[in-house]
Amino acid sequence: MFDRDVWQEIFNTLKTNKLRTFLTGFSVGWAIFILVMLLASVNGMQNGFVGQFNDDATNSIFVRPGTTSKAYGGFEAGRRIQLKNDDLEYIKQSFPNDIEYISARYYANAIARYKEETGSYSVQATHPDHQAIEKTLVTAGRYINEADIINKAKVAVIGRKVAEDLFKNEDPLGKFVEFNGLPFRVIGIFTDDGDDNAERRIYAPVSTYQRIYGNTNEIASIALTYNPNYDLTEALDFSERLEILMKRRHKIAPEDQAGLNVWNYAEAFNNISSFTAVLKGIGIGVGFLILIAGIVGIGNIMVFTIKERTKEIGVRKALGARPRQIVNLVLLESVFITAISGFVGLLFAWMILAAIGPMIETPAFSNPSVSLSVVVTATIILIIAGVLAGLLPAMKAANVKPIVALSDK
Amino acid sequence: MIEIKDLHKSYKMGSNSLHVLKGINFKVEEGELVAIMGSSGSGKSTLLNILGMLDGADSGEYTLDGVPIKNLSETKAAQYRNKFLGFIFQSFNLINYKSAVENVALPLYYQKVPRKERQEKAMQYLERVGLKPWADHLPSELSGGQKQRVAIARAMAAEPKVLLADEPTGALDSKTSYEVMDLIQKINDEGNTILVVTHEEDIAHMCKRIVHLKDGVIVEDKKVEQVRAEQYV
Repeated sequence: MFDRDVWQEIFNTLKTNKLRTFLTGFSVGWAIFILVMLLASVNGMQNGFVGQFNDDATNSIFVRPGTTSKAYGGFEAGRRIQLKNDDLEYIKQSFPNDIEYISARYYANAIARYKEETGSYSVQATHPDHQAIEKTLVTAGRYINEADIINKAKVAVIGRKVAEDLFKNEDPLGKFVEFNGLPFRVIGIFTDDGDDNAERRIYAPVSTYQRIYGNTNEIASIALTYNPNYDLTEALDFSERLEILMKRRHKIAPEDQAGLNVWNYAEAFNNISSFTAVLKGIGIGVGFLILIAGIVGIGNIMVFTIKERTKEIGVRKALGARPRQIVNLVLLESVFITAISGFVGLLFAWMILAAIGPMIETPAFSNPSVSLSVVVTATIILIIAGVLAGLLPAMKAANVKPIVALSDK
Repeated sequence: MIEIKDLHKSYKMGSNSLHVLKGINFKVEEGELVAIMGSSGSGKSTLLNILGMLDGADSGEYTLDGVPIKNLSETKAAQYRNKFLGFIFQSFNLINYKSAVENVALPLYYQKVPRKERQEKAMQYLERVGLKPWADHLPSELSGGQKQRVAIARAMAAEPKVLLADEPTGALDSKTSYEVMDLIQKINDEGNTILVVTHEEDIAHMCKRIVHLKDGVIVEDKKVEQVRAEQYV
């Protein structure tokens, strides 16, 4: 099947029919090109979505209180739910094996001043664990630690933008900056992959802010990450248990979504995964349909070629060519055209993706690319496609009656 | 070499069938040069096609070199054709994208002769038909007579038992016709069995025996004094 003579014959036929070969090959190459580009685009969307979430740990859960919408447990609807320090401790103790990191959040706004420079920033007062939950990258100094919480220290970790705005060229570490008139010592600077706005944020110990704002033990929300070994079902199961427990504790109707919201990234992730899976399915489907058009094109051209070469096939048969040898010749030619043109399409798509893919970096679409498995699959599809395209024409060729083919009178 | 007994063949032409061969009995010994003559429609080409295993007979017996030819599968027919028969066609039927030597080597390829040996053998046969210098030329670069000589070399390359020539001079002028017949006579002189279908009297008389076909039966079968083509060349 793979001897030199067969290839010589294939090259000869292709060489004598350059334009036809090119046109035929183009349809398949184009189909593969589109298929790869579609898959890469879906991949790009997926990358974009994942990138959006990457800002935070992907195993995080947020517990946010709200206002009840249903009367329950003797309380009327419209009751505001307030989380307190006890809630944090309660969760910690209730789920010692499920929780990886946990932190309270307390939100405030601060007019920050350093020397002549002032600016308005949002402050998130947190526990030390918050660094891991939010994936905060401290580039200089340190994050808030336990000692800061216990001492209710007036310290702050400021975003890169905040440091730029207030300190210009000075090194902020160890300097004192005023938040609403109260001096805080800068202990660290952080950056954030998410966006610039996140870098206009200030982190401070939660205990410090609770004391400043009326010596309270109230917290705005709780952020936590669950055991990273959990799979999706376990994660969803855990957040459900957490929600039931918290609703019972605050006497909220189990079905009341407004009273308390437990938001699980895994769930959102799950939604996005199925969304992109559907998109991928559509991409593959459309790509295949286009590929079928290409295959039909090749089959069509092969039928035409056989018709044109009927006489030659007749001669070959008269000279002793077995039907199988004729079938092989046609099939190999078909597979060859399909594979080569498909590879050209694949290579083209791959080159374009390699060249511009990394430059595309938008929130919803980033670095479209194809994996090796897609390339391998495409190759297998191409070879199968070539065989399919050549099969009918080959059988037709094998059934050529030499006597009919040779009758030239 | 060839033995045919009561051979019948008819073709379906729409609703009515055309009885082309109506009981042919015919024997060819080894080393004979036989002309099969007849006007068009006499069944001579049909007979040749059946002899060449390109077509099957409806009834009758056909034995080639002691092998009964009957109910052959496509693959088997291809094998027999390759082993027993060499074809020479009126329109040469060379493969136009292959050079002369590649055309000659083609039957050897189907015999699975190794490439190098094939090439050497093909060259030998080209030399015998006097076309060695044209070995690398494509058919389109050759004259009609040269093409037919390449075709003859190709038919002989596989060293068949019988050469079947269907109007080998039909597409050639008389001078080249005689050249081709001269070549065929010389091949016959070496002991090869050759059947020539023709409707030209002078070509037929260059054979050793003439079989006349009319309306599907043999009307005349006679040995003739062979006219050597050499003298006209």
